Amino acid sequence: MFFNQIRRNSLRSRKENSLFFGSLIIAIVVFYVFLSLESQDVIIFLKTMESDAIRKLLVLIPIVYAVSLFFVFFLVYFANKYQLQRRSHEFGLYQTLGMKRRRIFSMLMGETVWNSLIALLIGIPVALFLTELISLATANLVGLGIIGHHFRVSWTGLIGTVGGFFAVQLIAMFLLSFIMSLKEPIDLLRDETEGTQLLASKKSGWIQLILGVILLLIAYAMGLFLLKTLSFLYIFAVIGILVTGIAGTLLLFRGIATFIGYRVRKNDRKSTGLATFTGRQLQENVLHQSAFLGIGSLLILLAIICLAYGVSTIFTRGDDGERTVDISLQGERQEIETVLTSKEIAPYIYAYYPMNLDTMDWEIVENGQGYSWGTLIEAIEDLPYSATKENLLNNLLGYSPFLFPLSSYNALLASMDQPEIILEPGELVLYNSDMFSQFRDDLEKALQSNPVIELDGQTYSLASEIRTQNLVADRFISIIFGLVVPDELYAELVSDQEPFCWNVALDPDFIEDQGLMHALMQVGGLLNETGLTYESYLSGIGRQLFYIVAGSYVSLYLGLMFLIIANTVLGLKFLMQQRSTRHRYETLLVLGAKKEALYSSAKTQVWVYFALVISVAIVNGIFGIASLLNSFLRLGDAVSDEMFILLSAIAVVVFLVTELGYIWLIRSESKREIRRMSSLNRG
Amino acid sequence: MKISEKILQVKEIKKTYGSGENQTEALRGMTFDVIPREFLGIMGASGSGKTTLLNCIATILHPTSGQIMLGGEDIFSFNEDFLANYRGKKIGYLFQDFELLDNLTGRENIELPLVIHGEQPKKCEAAIRTLAERLEIVPVLDKFPSQMSGGEKQRVAVARALISNPSIVLADEPTGALDSKNAKTLMKKLSLVNQEDGATILMVTHDANAASYCSRILFIKDGAIFHELRRDSPNETQSEFYDRILTVLAQLGGGSNNVL
Repeated sequence: MFFNQIRRNSLRSRKENSLFFGSLIIAIVVFYVFLSLESQDVIIFLKTMESDAIRKLLVLIPIVYAVSLFFVFFLVYFANKYQLQRRSHEFGLYQTLGMKRRRIFSMLMGETVWNSLIALLIGIPVALFLTELISLATANLVGLGIIGHHFRVSWTGLIGTVGGFFAVQLIAMFLLSFIMSLKEPIDLLRDETEGTQLLASKKSGWIQLILGVILLLIAYAMGLFLLKTLSFLYIFAVIGILVTGIAGTLLLFRGIATFIGYRVRKNDRKSTGLATFTGRQLQENVLHQSAFLGIGSLLILLAIICLAYGVSTIFTRGDDGERTVDISLQGERQEIETVLTSKEIAPYIYAYYPMNLDTMDWEIVENGQGYSWGTLIEAIEDLPYSATKENLLNNLLGYSPFLFPLSSYNALLASMDQPEIILEPGELVLYNSDMFSQFRDDLEKALQSNPVIELDGQTYSLASEIRTQNLVADRFISIIFGLVVPDELYAELVSDQEPFCWNVALDPDFIEDQGLMHALMQVGGLLNETGLTYESYLSGIGRQLFYIVAGSYVSLYLGLMFLIIANTVLGLKFLMQQRSTRHRYETLLVLGAKKEALYSSAKTQVWVYFALVISVAIVNGIFGIASLLNSFLRLGDAVSDEMFILLSAIAVVVFLVTELGYIWLIRSESKREIRRMSSLNRG
Repeated sequence: MKISEKILQVKEIKKTYGSGENQTEALRGMTFDVIPREFLGIMGASGSGKTTLLNCIATILHPTSGQIMLGGEDIFSFNEDFLANYRGKKIGYLFQDFELLDNLTGRENIELPLVIHGEQPKKCEAAIRTLAERLEIVPVLDKFPSQMSGGEKQRVAVARALISNPSIVLADEPTGALDSKNAKTLMKKLSLVNQEDGATILMVTHDANAASYCSRILFIKDGAIFHELRRDSPNETQSEFYDRILTVLAQLGGGSNNVL
């Protein structure tokens, strides 16, 4: 009987309050997705490559897990509080009928456990599906779609999820039951919990509003200027921004309630319908919950910054140019050729060639005839001023160019099935690696004036097209400026004719068949047996990936979590207020208000309620991101500020869509609540 | 008496709850009229059907059968929207628990029935003033309900019930939550608006004291009218009427017949 009651009660809770149950499932998914990071394709792959860095990242997980537990606790706490508030009459009745508090307590705990089990039963499969999806999506996004994907269950993640979820649920319920047990049965029976209309004095309300705005402005100014300049006072600046920002936001919300009250009073004489009622409801909502709205707004601010940072990290780091060389081997020609033509390895090889690259011999430079960038420098100097241009000039002047023989470069192009370079007599080709693509525009403009340069006393012209292909498999080796020169000239200027390395391109069919990662790992395994030293394209990707994963995954995760928690809790809080003032709606119905008028009043309330919180968060967010751009955040040189802002805008759109979704959800829940009380035949 | 002189006609009203074996009849075919400027009381024991009757007239409960005519119109022949229009405008309400919206000021509460139906609050300022003076609530007009006494709250509720000049005011145990002093003040005020302003009032009450202010009282028992009392004013004093009410109440309780 006791168990049946528990089962029936929890079934009713789930039916009556989908938001409540939905929040529980969200909590589960949030936990598992994060805890299973270890078994994500990307991380598994990275472990083989950058095991040290990954270990450090994985150490972070328990810390973020603890932070998540803390926030999810709030989510669960409010969801349960809302649910208990709806049932307070029922509990009052139980007590009046003589049920012991201990029994009510164990009934609630039983319901919690039962509800948690069902939430887990739904949440875990959803979480598994979602992690698979995220795993595949991240892998695809970073170009790893090619890894053979396996379905994986992270058992530690699962244990952490179930354990954490139960702990959070039970602690929240324990606290709530405790608070409830302090109430008299009659208070529970009355089922009304709204406080009386608080009358904050108007004067102090306005002071709070103004003070809030001033504090926020101070925080913005500190963010924009102090973080940039006073690097030794960083920690104080950060603390100052946090204190003024948080205090400013909280005060602002208290002040806003006064402002709403003022608006209601001002419009009182001309507004009809439920405008006054709507305004007063809002005023009460904001005034009673100003701290709450402030915290909600700050959480959303955190979410905005995390999302913007996460999204931009993906794109800024993800752009690393095309794949040119799969493997670069080091060693003697004969040794390498023997290995590459062996019957184990040969079937996988599409092309191999020596890559020569070196700077001009020191003796030639010493002679004074060395090199000169000639009229290229002047052509660049003639370009309009920019920081990039100055940087380019500084780099050029202090930089002896790398030289590559035409045959090496053409072999590289041939291995990629691209047309070879044909040099005109007296012509060289300028090379600028993709890693330094910020100079590309200026260089291309300068080349239009047909500048000439000097090598060992000879004058050469430069082809109008700049070459950019990576010359070796390891992406860390990149060259700012280089020159593709005829083989004879290379032989003249560079005495050491030993290749820098031997480049290998794997068979495209083999890659398509196996996926790039597996193909590279397979051939890498074979090469390991031969004892040759080699660099693989994999390690380059690994390094890139690590930045993406470490930078974006964690911040996107935190961003989404903050967003979900802030919105759910705000929504629940709104519904709780509507719930506790439901008799007002009933009175309005009796006084002749139409249901539609009540719906639209509730709709306006939801909109203004969320709009207040979100707009404050957005304004804070804009300044927050601007401060970050000025200080901590060093964007890849290849990424312009405009790009960053564009990407942040994408994050903002994602954010707004999420918000609209939540507003819609809360609206329909609130409508349902009103419909429930407005049925004509209430008996 | 012509039909047009009757403000409210209740004809053969029946209300049953449940179905089959569980059916209970709350109202078993009740018929009566209310004429303009009348102060009609309805008395009866708990469960006699008083509140069901009031809820039906208030249009917040559909009767199972029968008609309720207000100003000659059958109110249940209209749809929900029309009924919403009826509430608050043609019918004023007074609740036992006042049911003031506690986040609105006294003035805003009084205006509600008008602004809900789309009127400008400015237009009713004079009317509010007059009512507030009559009901002695001018000082609390700009206060919130939490800052008013119980008596003040109920008088604000009276003003709210009267502001739209309704055809009839329905009062459900209006003195139920008041102490005797406040109850007396309230009944005097109600009686005043009935006699001087000509408001028609239908009041459900338990309280013989409050009922003695009425001009006519219907006693109901088990969902049907059991007895009717008319005050023979001005010949009969209020206290004489009160005594007669007590006698009927004793009868209603079964009289000495039921004493075992």
